[in-house]
Amino acid sequence: MLQVRGGRIGRMSTVIRAQELDALVVGVTLLGSGGGGDTGAFGRMLRRRLGDGELVLRDASDAPGAYVSPIGVVGATSVLAEKLPSGGEFDTAVRAVSRWTGRPVTGLMSLEAGGLNGLSPLIAALDLGLPFVDADLMGRAMPRLDQFSWAVAGRSLTPCALSEPSGQVIVVDHVDAAGLERAVRSFVAHTGGWAVLALAPTPVKAATSDAVTGSLTRALALGRAHAGLDVGVRPQTVAQTLGGRLLGGGRVEEVARHTVPPGGAAFGRGSVCVVDSASRAVLRIETENEYLLAMVDGEPVVSTPDLVCVLDRRTLQPIFVDAIRTGDEVLVLALPGPTWWRRPDRIAHVGPRAFGLTCDPMLLEAS
Amino acid sequence: MSVAPTLGAMLLSPGWRDVVVLGGGSEPGPWLAGSRVMLEVGGHPEALEGRLLVVLLTSDHTDWRIDALISRASAAGAAALLLAGVEPLGRGAQLLAERLQLPVLGSPDPLAAHEYLTQVTAEPDVVRADLVLRAVGALRRTFGDLNTVLRTAADVLGRPVTLAGSDGGTLAGEPLEADERPVLVAALPAVPVGWAAPYQVDLPGGAVMIAVAVLGAGPVCWLVARLPAVVPAEVAAVPAVLTVVAPAVGERLALRRLELERDARQRTSLLGELLHGEPSEATRRRAVDLGWQLDGWHTGIRIGADGQLDVAGRRADVVEAFDAEGLHAVVVEQGDGWSAWITAVREPTATEVQQQAAAIRRVQRRLVKTVDAYVGVGRVAPGPSGIASSLAEAGDAAGLARGRAETGRFLHVDRLGLAQLLLAWTRTDTFQPAARALLAPIEDQPGDLVTTLAVYLDTESSLAETAAVLGIHRNTAAARIHKIQHLLGVDLSNPDERLALHLASRTTRT
Repeated sequence: MLQVRGGRIGRMSTVIRAQELDALVVGVTLLGSGGGGDTGAFGRMLRRRLGDGELVLRDASDAPGAYVSPIGVVGATSVLAEKLPSGGEFDTAVRAVSRWTGRPVTGLMSLEAGGLNGLSPLIAALDLGLPFVDADLMGRAMPRLDQFSWAVAGRSLTPCALSEPSGQVIVVDHVDAAGLERAVRSFVAHTGGWAVLALAPTPVKAATSDAVTGSLTRALALGRAHAGLDVGVRPQTVAQTLGGRLLGGGRVEEVARHTVPPGGAAFGRGSVCVVDSASRAVLRIETENEYLLAMVDGEPVVSTPDLVCVLDRRTLQPIFVDAIRTGDEVLVLALPGPTWWRRPDRIAHVGPRAFGLTCDPMLLEAS
Repeated sequence: MSVAPTLGAMLLSPGWRDVVVLGGGSEPGPWLAGSRVMLEVGGHPEALEGRLLVVLLTSDHTDWRIDALISRASAAGAAALLLAGVEPLGRGAQLLAERLQLPVLGSPDPLAAHEYLTQVTAEPDVVRADLVLRAVGALRRTFGDLNTVLRTAADVLGRPVTLAGSDGGTLAGEPLEADERPVLVAALPAVPVGWAAPYQVDLPGGAVMIAVAVLGAGPVCWLVARLPAVVPAEVAAVPAVLTVVAPAVGERLALRRLELERDARQRTSLLGELLHGEPSEATRRRAVDLGWQLDGWHTGIRIGADGQLDVAGRRADVVEAFDAEGLHAVVVEQGDGWSAWITAVREPTATEVQQQAAAIRRVQRRLVKTVDAYVGVGRVAPGPSGIASSLAEAGDAAGLARGRAETGRFLHVDRLGLAQLLLAWTRTDTFQPAARALLAPIEDQPGDLVTTLAVYLDTESSLAETAAVLGIHRNTAAARIHKIQHLLGVDLSNPDERLALHLASRTTRT
């Protein structure tokens, strides 16, 4: 159990207690933009681990000299519901990468902030008793390892270690992001479907210089704002409260899911069609693992790396891409994505074209 | 008239046969001022102003870029959007097309659709010239009958082509719609002139009929093409094509007429020879050539008709009616009707004769729909001479049948013979009052003059026999006959008067 040591927490750090976990879960789900894996199971695990304690989201400056390892879950996160974690995967992966690099891991950060990987490093931090630095390599959820900010910034993702629930562990080194992607995919495909990935322990300054910082703090803020919304509030108010833009709200008219063509992209493409109940405007959202591109009346309005979020109109709970169904009554919102990506050299890796959508990135006005 | 067709009219046009509406369609759709081509869905069209936007390469109709294109095309003022392929659109694209009122079409060959639309909007003269040249070329290669010519014209136009009589009845080709016939007939003149311009008949539903008179050997008929909707370039081109086709149709009609007349003459003359005694060897050979079987048992049938009748022209209908009843009859044009006979290998039984007569009756019922026909059927007779004898009986029966509406103008001379038939006729309501009136003067006279007269005529005017039959003296009989002649004012040696009295006495006696 991580104890908060007085005086060492800077002003930039955020403290999370049990009563705020719900907000955090909603926040990371919103950052997932419809993907990133189901946050429910990890939310419950985190609640159990945390108990009455506290969890500190540290600013990089609050962990000087620490060697942090980005950690998270990779593979088919939907399998997590069937193939449950043994509890030792984080430890195994961290030990393996620590042993390979010859450096102890003295802090953790997240691989991606959106979806369940916004929560899994917190569990790891609690389990391993390590401080958690609020930084991650995506600032949202995205499907590929070459979309890690480290890879985009030209840093190697290796050495790194993978461990899976039955205890098997492998260390991968001297390979680029695409090669690592292949290694990870073949590993999880032949084991339990998912694995914990821990990257090499890195001095915190270097680790966070090419990373998105403060994502979980933002998630918590989003979650808190979301929790403050009353049921039945106007859609426009929902968007304003969450700091985004309302694209529309109405019935889901069609959910098309295309099977993956053989030899094609690894993720199933699909689209969601919503008709705005007020204006009858036709909303179309192109999906892969996340909501990628939103169009209103045929015109692209918002795309990755900004966040397209679909909420249940009644409960305002976020709806995942794989859970949305024809007939759902939804609100479609766009939230600004991480500013880290808003640079021409970076955005090419995460814009619509990175997902095979021949469309320039459509971003919200910088807030 | 503007040369821009509506989308609805284009969808019904032959050049757009494979174009389908995928979404956003509404009748009759916008006017299509022209066509613009774009290679891929990703393009950015500009300033379309009522034109059709054609996209040549479209991989997937559910792609998001289709939605984007619909939006861009609508913003650029396109009248409609045509995509390659006919797969259904995604729901979003459909809803969007409806919302923006932009019809989205699909075609397996969008380039052909584009070219056709460009032609009909920008080069209507080229369309006309092309169709006329194609018609001329196709007709030059057409050697078949009338139907082949009509089919060729229909193929060139891509529209149904009909040869209609002056009453709108279909003579060949696609039948006209029943409710459109009167409109057509009302618009056409009864006596057309050769140099008259083709007629254009606008139908209530928006369809158009173009009619060109065919002047030939027979009665006037009309070559009619029906266009389900107005594509101005096509409406302008079709009359020219029909004008080219009409002489070819007239020629085929004249040839057919000639053939019919020749065959009819051949049959009629052969039948004439058969009717005059035992056939010669040459006659037999000619009969074989025509497929007539002279041996066997023949049933003669005479079909007469009231009113003017094209006996040679309508023979086919008669043959068809027999065929429809499963009767293999030889039908020959003769006078103002047809003589026909059915040949059986062996002598038919009484039941078979009855069944055959019933079948012939049904033939008559079929014919009555178009011809005011009366029918007589003779008795079965064997051999070549049987044809003549049975036909003679049939002719007599037909003569009787003509005036007998109560038997459906049908008479069958069965085993009882013609005499019985005549006798039966004397029992009719028309004859009986006449008979009574004829015999009235002697009815109430003493000496049973009516019976005496009947017996006298039955015994071939023999006084001795009459006296014997009645059990009276010969002189009494002579006196009574004398009195009868006096009272009736007739001369019993006159065969006509004798026959009338004989029949009348039969009637009153029974």
